[in-house]
Amino acid sequence: MKLSTSLLEKLDPRTKIISFLSVILCMILTPITHIREFGLYFLLILAIGFCSKITPRQILKKVCILIPFVLFIAMFVPFVKEGNVCWSLKISNWKFDITYEGVWTFLNIIVKSTLSVFLLVIASSTTTFPDFLKGLDMLRIPRLLVMLMSFMYRYIFVLIDEAGRLMRARSLRYFGSGYKEQFRVIGYMIGVLFIRTFERAERIFNAMIIRGFSGEVISVKRFRFSYMDILFMAGIIVSLVCIVSGLINKIEYIGVSGAHLWQGL
Amino acid sequence: MARIIKVSNLNYRYPDGTTGLKDVSFEVEEGETMVILGANGTGKSTLFMNLMGILDGDGHIEVMGLLLDKKNVKDVRRGMGMVFQNPDDQLFCPTVIDDVSFGPLNLGLEADQVIEASQKALTMVDLQGYESRTSYHLSFGEKKRAAIATILSMNPKILLLDEPTSGLDPRSISKFINILYTLKSQGKTLLIVTHDLFLTQEIADRVLVFSEEKRPVAIGNYKEILNNYDLLLKNNLVHQHRHRHETVVHEHEHRHGYIHEH
Repeated sequence: MKLSTSLLEKLDPRTKIISFLSVILCMILTPITHIREFGLYFLLILAIGFCSKITPRQILKKVCILIPFVLFIAMFVPFVKEGNVCWSLKISNWKFDITYEGVWTFLNIIVKSTLSVFLLVIASSTTTFPDFLKGLDMLRIPRLLVMLMSFMYRYIFVLIDEAGRLMRARSLRYFGSGYKEQFRVIGYMIGVLFIRTFERAERIFNAMIIRGFSGEVISVKRFRFSYMDILFMAGIIVSLVCIVSGLINKIEYIGVSGAHLWQGL
Repeated sequence: MARIIKVSNLNYRYPDGTTGLKDVSFEVEEGETMVILGANGTGKSTLFMNLMGILDGDGHIEVMGLLLDKKNVKDVRRGMGMVFQNPDDQLFCPTVIDDVSFGPLNLGLEADQVIEASQKALTMVDLQGYESRTSYHLSFGEKKRAAIATILSMNPKILLLDEPTSGLDPRSISKFINILYTLKSQGKTLLIVTHDLFLTQEIADRVLVFSEEKRPVAIGNYKEILNNYDLLLKNNLVHQHRHRHETVVHEHEHRHGYIHEH
């Protein structure tokens, strides 16, 4: 049981969805060459982080789990992208060229995704999934989509449990022989899991129509905007406007004098 | 008492050709608790599915004076709720309160009425304070009680309960029986499918026994049926068991609450 809730936890999920989404959107649309803006975005995210009661350690831990995936995807980009070569790597007969464009694209992916992940981690640690769904619903995201997500959230663990039970039943009777045979067994297991899921879906649908479901999803609206929501949202929007408008000046400045600094752009 | 359910000559065959129900006829009075006893696979759950209009068998079903057909099925479901055997099928929403309010919302109640009905239902099953809990994290007993709350919030006249006590520990069973008593005292009509003789003895007014031929073979007062050993034995509801008292080994039917001399 938590003793006190932080500001971010008290906010309406809609506020969080809108403001975080707009931060991410602005960030993605900012060219990577504007390093100062990214510094400002980072500060903004840091400030948002301060509104929650999560320790930096907890945030970093979760970010560190997600970043390797991005890194793995992005690390080949500098070699693949064509353009002005800045550095060549020779391994016996193989020659790898790293281009300026490639490096910038790499940075683009890494910086933006890291900052977005930071924001996402903060959002997910301060909003429960059911609340998030309610927020989406109230923002007029199609009900069917929200319902699909809620079913996924509800049954993914049930399915994992079921798969776990199947695996356990298999491993209790598997003594290490017939290595190739095991692939067949795994195939059966996937089949069984599919049939069970399918039948469960049927039973759930029955449970729904018994309680009067007729294809239309109705829900109780539980949230109300408070003055805190308005303040928070205003704060985010003002900061974004400041950052973005600073950006406009910067673009002109680069256009006039700084273009040669950024080779290949 | 008025007749509330009437089933006559109901037959059901599964799509793959196996018989689900064979010539089922019975009547239920308003406010009574009827236990449908039968071994595994005798068609008890299939009967419930037919009563709710999910499966469509041949025959005549009348609920609360309405003939169960395509036109009336929604009205029938307004007055009759069914609790599934597996609570994981019944609780499909992210949180308990979402599930409990699902039915009333679909009935078209106003928001505050929905909340009131849901709270009342949760109180009845002793789950106050569970509103925003995730169904997945509840214990099995709590899930079973939450499942019944999802139906109670719709305030039905008739409740169909499929194996309400299966998989519960003794304390959860007695808690569940208390809930059933409360419902009974409120004048609800209960139809309970089970093979639990203990539950039958506790709660039943009348008992309907299903045989392995998927049809009812006996109907009557609960005492009458529970004392008919031959009937219970023949229909797989009790079994002979052998046990030992020091040097004497003897066989008799296994039953609870049955004191015998040696």
